[in-house]
Amino acid sequence: MTTVDIHALVGAYALDAVDDLERVSFERHVADCEACRTEVDELRGTASRLADSTWSVPPPRLRAEVLAAVGRTRQLPPLESARPRPDARAAVSRWRRYTAGAVAAGILAAGAGVAAWAVQEQRVQEQSAVVAEARKREARTEAIMAAPDLVVRTAPMIGGGRVTVASSEQQAASVVSLRADDAPPAGQAFQMWTIRGTGPAANAGVLPAGQASTVQVVDGVPGNDVFAVSVEPAGGSPSPTEVVAQVPLI
Amino acid sequence: MTERGAARRPDHLSAVPGSGSPPADAGDLLRLVARGDEAAFGRLYDLVIPRVYGLIRRVLRDPAQAEEVAQEVLVEVWRTATRFDTARGSATSWIFTIAHRRAVDRVRAEQASADRLMKVGVASVDTPYDEVVDEVAGRLERQQVRHCLDGLTELQRQAVTLAYYQGHSYREVADLLEAPLPTVKTRMRDGLIRLRDCLGVEVTA
Ligand SMILES: [Zn+2]
Repeated sequence: MTTVDIHALVGAYALDAVDDLERVSFERHVADCEACRTEVDELRGTASRLADSTWSVPPPRLRAEVLAAVGRTRQLPPLESARPRPDARAAVSRWRRYTAGAVAAGILAAGAGVAAWAVQEQRVQEQSAVVAEARKREARTEAIMAAPDLVVRTAPMIGGGRVTVASSEQQAASVVSLRADDAPPAGQAFQMWTIRGTGPAANAGVLPAGQASTVQVVDGVPGNDVFAVSVEPAGGSPSPTEVVAQVPLI
Repeated sequence: MTERGAARRPDHLSAVPGSGSPPADAGDLLRLVARGDEAAFGRLYDLVIPRVYGLIRRVLRDPAQAEEVAQEVLVEVWRTATRFDTARGSATSWIFTIAHRRAVDRVRAEQASADRLMKVGVASVDTPYDEVVDEVAGRLERQQVRHCLDGLTELQRQAVTLAYYQGHSYREVADLLEAPLPTVKTRMRDGLIRLRDCLGVEVTA
């Protein structure tokens, strides 16, 4: 996708009329583009004014239910040093902080942009070998995402969050984005699976223990029927124990 | 228009007149909520719920689901209040952004697009919403939004309202309007810019 294309998405983005992958690409662009960021904020503010014309009062029981739920819900801890520094890296991290907080339920659902961010992070650590690897991964991600036969499917996760699978038969691979609201409990990890027909589930990768999100390329997914995510003991299991998300692929 | 100042600052409007609370600013309340103040959360709830619920219900068209999603949204507001960044816009805008995103996510998760396209035609865009509470502040705000929507070209207006109120992606909107994708993207942006100028939306950094 070119810069011109991505910039033109600002209206659709403000209206939530983009798919998850475009969302991520656009947010990557906005992280580096001050002008776009201002426009995004203004157009989102504008779009949210459209809610003014949708005035409807819910049943009174909703208030009691919400307040009860709130009483059981822990708030996220405040972020350290909220004051942004006036350089590009601060702008990026400010944007990422905002997105993490603003729409925790999957604003970063999937896509090529996350791989690019990984590259940025690793540059900071000056690990050139890792950077080369990340670049390769990014190139692979971009190739899949650019495939003309790309099919994108998404499913919610039990416990909050979302799994998105963008598959290309031509590339014989998928870009998988897993974005859970919370990491699995201590000692446990998310594991990904592909399932063909009634056959056994094949391991498609285990996340490091405690990790709540990932974007990665998974080979061979398009030939399968189901992509699944489960919670397993750290390090993974030979077969899924507690499935928390399933994306039907056919 | 004497009510213009009030209508431009929805944060200052009390959603439930006569509910006993003095008019409150959503931003101030959200700051208290971020410190764990449940009473402030109750007041914030009263302030925003008619629009949060109304918006979600308009997108989802199902009262039971709208209730469920509204609850998720409000709990999310509570949970993430500590992460709200005033530099990025108003508190109400932040809350409606969460509400809209959740409603759209739900619509897309529940229904295949083709299925939805058949059920929800272009003709229904302007169907007046029933069960709207005819409350004064709400009426003023509705009038202003409608007035500004009327100022858009037909294609701008349809592109914006099909996306926002019905949760369609711009690709679906292009199908519905039989317009090219780049045109639809452009009309969404142009339309919002024109609306922004009409409504006087500003983001103070
Ligand atoms: Zn830009």
